[in-house]
Amino acid sequence: MSKSTSASASGHALWTKMPKANAELFALTYGALVTELVRDYENIPDIHQQLEKIGHSMGVRCVDEFLAKAELAGVSLPPCGKLKDTAEMVAKMGFKMFLGVTADVAHVTDSGFSLLLQENPLSLFCELPEQYAQLKYSNLYCGVVRGALEQVNLKVECTFVKDTLHGDETNEIKVELKEVLQDGAGDDYKEE
Amino acid sequence: RDTTMAATATSPLLFVIVGKNEPLFEAELTKPTGTSADSVTRQNYFVLHSALDLAEKAAWTTNSMYLKQVDKVNSQHVSTFLTAGNIKFMLLHGGRTEDSIRNFFNDVYELYVKVSMNPFYKYDTPILSKVFDQKVRVSARKYLS
Repeated sequence: MSKSTSASASGHALWTKMPKANAELFALTYGALVTELVRDYENIPDIHQQLEKIGHSMGVRCVDEFLAKAELAGVSLPPCGKLKDTAEMVAKMGFKMFLGVTADVAHVTDSGFSLLLQENPLSLFCELPEQYAQLKYSNLYCGVVRGALEQVNLKVECTFVKDTLHGDETNEIKVELKEVLQDGAGDDYKEE
Repeated sequence: RDTTMAATATSPLLFVIVGKNEPLFEAELTKPTGTSADSVTRQNYFVLHSALDLAEKAAWTTNSMYLKQVDKVNSQHVSTFLTAGNIKFMLLHGGRTEDSIRNFFNDVYELYVKVSMNPFYKYDTPILSKVFDQKVRVSARKYLS
């Protein structure tokens, strides 16, 4: 059994153990959040930044939940030797566990990879109006991936490069590795 | 050939979605005959709007959403469909079968619900989505011509 199929199987196993929410309620709640942000902030880059920030605080909590649930479910998580393994784990297990959709991994290099999402549960009924045609509606994902990988000492930058709401056939998130952080206890604990 | 031209000329199809205060969507669904004068179009709108009161009255007589034909002026009929939120779909036609109109209204109702689920669409505001417009016309071609 190849690594990616066992990751998919583990992802599916974790997904079955998660409490489920109504997909429409989820999409509509996110839609309400985005429209509120649109009303609060004047320009589109600010909205993207806010969505990313919200995603970041979600992501730092997601990775702990992922690791804890995996241990409870008896899913073995071999440490990721290369960035490719990290990418597979995020795409096949992380996305599957929290959203119920698997992402595909593409363009893997030593310093980055791309996540391809065929279906996006957040943008279920959404159609972007003309004045917000450039809005990256699902920018939340970028924050989530950044926050999650930050907790495992990988500093990354995520950008949405392709979006089905903008007319592309698939959604693509580009993840670029900036640096591998050292295990630290944070600034508060620095020795004098 | 003369008879077919006469048929299209006497059966204009006008579809309007009316909200609480204003029309939210308008579509002229007839094939252009080339002879439709401006006054004919304005008359069509007038007939539709005058049928609004009759539609309100008819709403109390039945508990289904489809109100069938609420008005008839010369050869033009007005059929109405009332959504749960009191939005009126009005169709001005020259005599289509009840069933085909009901199918058309149900189709448009589904499209309307999808539009209203869009987080960027504010309820009871004009529908500007081009996708919606296209799909309404496709549905009209399918059921009404």
